Amino acid sequence: MDQITDRTTVNGKKSRSRVLEMSINGETHEITVKPRVMLLEAIRDKIGLTGTKDGCESGTCGACTVLVDGQPTLSCISLAVENEGKDIRTVEDLADGDNLNFLQEAFLDQGGTQCGFCTPGMLMSATALLEKNPKPTRDDINKALEGNLCRCTGYNSIVDSILQASDQGVKPRLL
Amino acid sequence: MQPLPNFQYLEPETIHEAAKLLMDSGTQSMVISGGTDMLPSMRQGIFSPDVVISLQAIPHLRDVEWDDTEGLKIGPLATLRSLETNAEILQHFPVIAEAAHAVGSPQLREMATVGGNICLDTRCYYYNQSENWQACDQECLKLGGETCKAAPSGRAKKCFAVFSADLAPVLVALDARITLLSARGERHVDLREFYTGDGAAPHVKAPDEILTSVLVPKQMAGIFGVYQKYRIRNSIDYPIAGVALTLRLNGPDKSAKKLVKDVCLVISGVASKPLVVKKIPPLLNGKALDDALIEEAALLAKKAALPLANTGGERAHRKQMIYEFTKKAFEQAINNGSQIS
Ligand SMILES: Cc1cc2nc3c(=O)[nH]c(=O)nc-3n(C[C@H](O)[C@H](O)[C@H](O)COP(=O)(O)OP(=O)(O)OC[C@H]3O[C@@H](n4cnc5c(N)ncnc54)[C@H](O)[C@@H]3O)c2cc1C
Ligand code: FES
Ligand code: FES
Repeated sequence: MDQITDRTTVNGKKSRSRVLEMSINGETHEITVKPRVMLLEAIRDKIGLTGTKDGCESGTCGACTVLVDGQPTLSCISLAVENEGKDIRTVEDLADGDNLNFLQEAFLDQGGTQCGFCTPGMLMSATALLEKNPKPTRDDINKALEGNLCRCTGYNSIVDSILQASDQGVKPRLL
Repeated sequence: MQPLPNFQYLEPETIHEAAKLLMDSGTQSMVISGGTDMLPSMRQGIFSPDVVISLQAIPHLRDVEWDDTEGLKIGPLATLRSLETNAEILQHFPVIAEAAHAVGSPQLREMATVGGNICLDTRCYYYNQSENWQACDQECLKLGGETCKAAPSGRAKKCFAVFSADLAPVLVALDARITLLSARGERHVDLREFYTGDGAAPHVKAPDEILTSVLVPKQMAGIFGVYQKYRIRNSIDYPIAGVALTLRLNGPDKSAKKLVKDVCLVISGVASKPLVVKKIPPLLNGKALDDALIEEAALLAKKAALPLANTGGERAHRKQMIYEFTKKAFEQAINNGSQIS
């Protein structure tokens, strides 16, 4: 950890790598990164979890959404160094091995995923919503997903997926 | 992924240490709060500080508290999401929660801070572009070039990049005061005086100053406030026309006879600063609102708005939206008249 000793002295253009202990999906990963590395790059390229998607890289599309201490966060515009010591959850946290969780199953049942590029971000925003509000209304869901763009589904099937997952009378469509 | 330029990253643990580091590292250093504004720009190569100073390790900068003598104190690192749900804000200044809620998307509000919103960089089609795009033409004024490409003449020596924040105009309308700290000392600035109107240097904060606190004065508590926003996509975009209105309606009777007091109208997204429409208070203070007066006020606001074709939306339409929102804001004030004094 000696890289961190010059934390608070100005040192020209030096941007030393740092060893970070990142808690991802309950596991601690030690990675060495420059300060400029984004949380998204750390998760995908350093840790190798490629479920989180790299979309617009500018905070607009939500494909890179992960949960940081339970809150949906855009990993493409958040520095990895700022997330050390925080509890980070990615889409890989949802399934148990090959068994998808109830929310992922509902997305399959409703056709809530087509090309699938937006899906990891959608699932994480939806997970945060359901943890705070187990029975969200259609309007609550629309609001919670405002920062997640989908080019394929037209959104209705995604909203239905979340209604199904929260056990609010929406039945599986595809069986 | 397009990598960011390299920088040294510092995490001071006190605000004075941060101020000293900022001073020591000279003009090539920047403070980072939520990073939602500066990191996308750094990725595009618009600027590349040598040193980035995080405020996250400094305690109490996220605090929001009500002080019985002074008013509402907001720490610069308070997230916009935290303002949306803060009990003191909902009680004394619900319009702050309304404006915070109008920003970006849920993820952005979770990350975005008050300090970053106040110090937001101005935006322009000719400025917020990648290095490759920039390389195709001469640099614009804000990037160090000679002239502003957004100005209709193409030869203006003033930068017309747009101030595009939602919370800042509401804080201006609420007469907020900010504290700026540097290794040279501390000063208080009225937020209204903070903005210059020059897109290239939008505010008077010196490079070595840190915004350490926002105060919304106690006298403003309970004032009626409303914020209206127009944007391309309702779920994520910056405002391309915004109207913040605060006022009191005083009088014994039902709404019609109530007299306007302390009115302030601020428009956003249509100039290089949150623009206070100065002719509104002399027009309305001491008078009872009626359709003709509201029409006159809306026309004044529309006239004050000078949008250029350098951000989303069509110019005439954005001006018209300022007019419509101003009318709507006053109508809301009247409808709420029975609840305000
Ligand atoms: C897709 C997208 C949509 C957006 N939509 C909106 C919108 O609708 N409305 C809106 O208002 N904004 C919008 N924003 C802009 C931004 O998210 C917010 O304005 C936010 O509040 C900025 O805060 P921050 O903490 O992330 O700023 P940062 O990026 O951390 O900082 C912004 C600037 O302020 C300076 N700064 C920050 N804190 C301090 C401080 N304490 N002292 C001195 N200087 C400081 C930084 O050096 C930098 O120059 C959007 C951004 C994105 C990417
Ligand atoms: S990749 Fe992060 S918001 Fe699009
Ligand atoms: S499923 Fe293709 S973008 Fe949403």
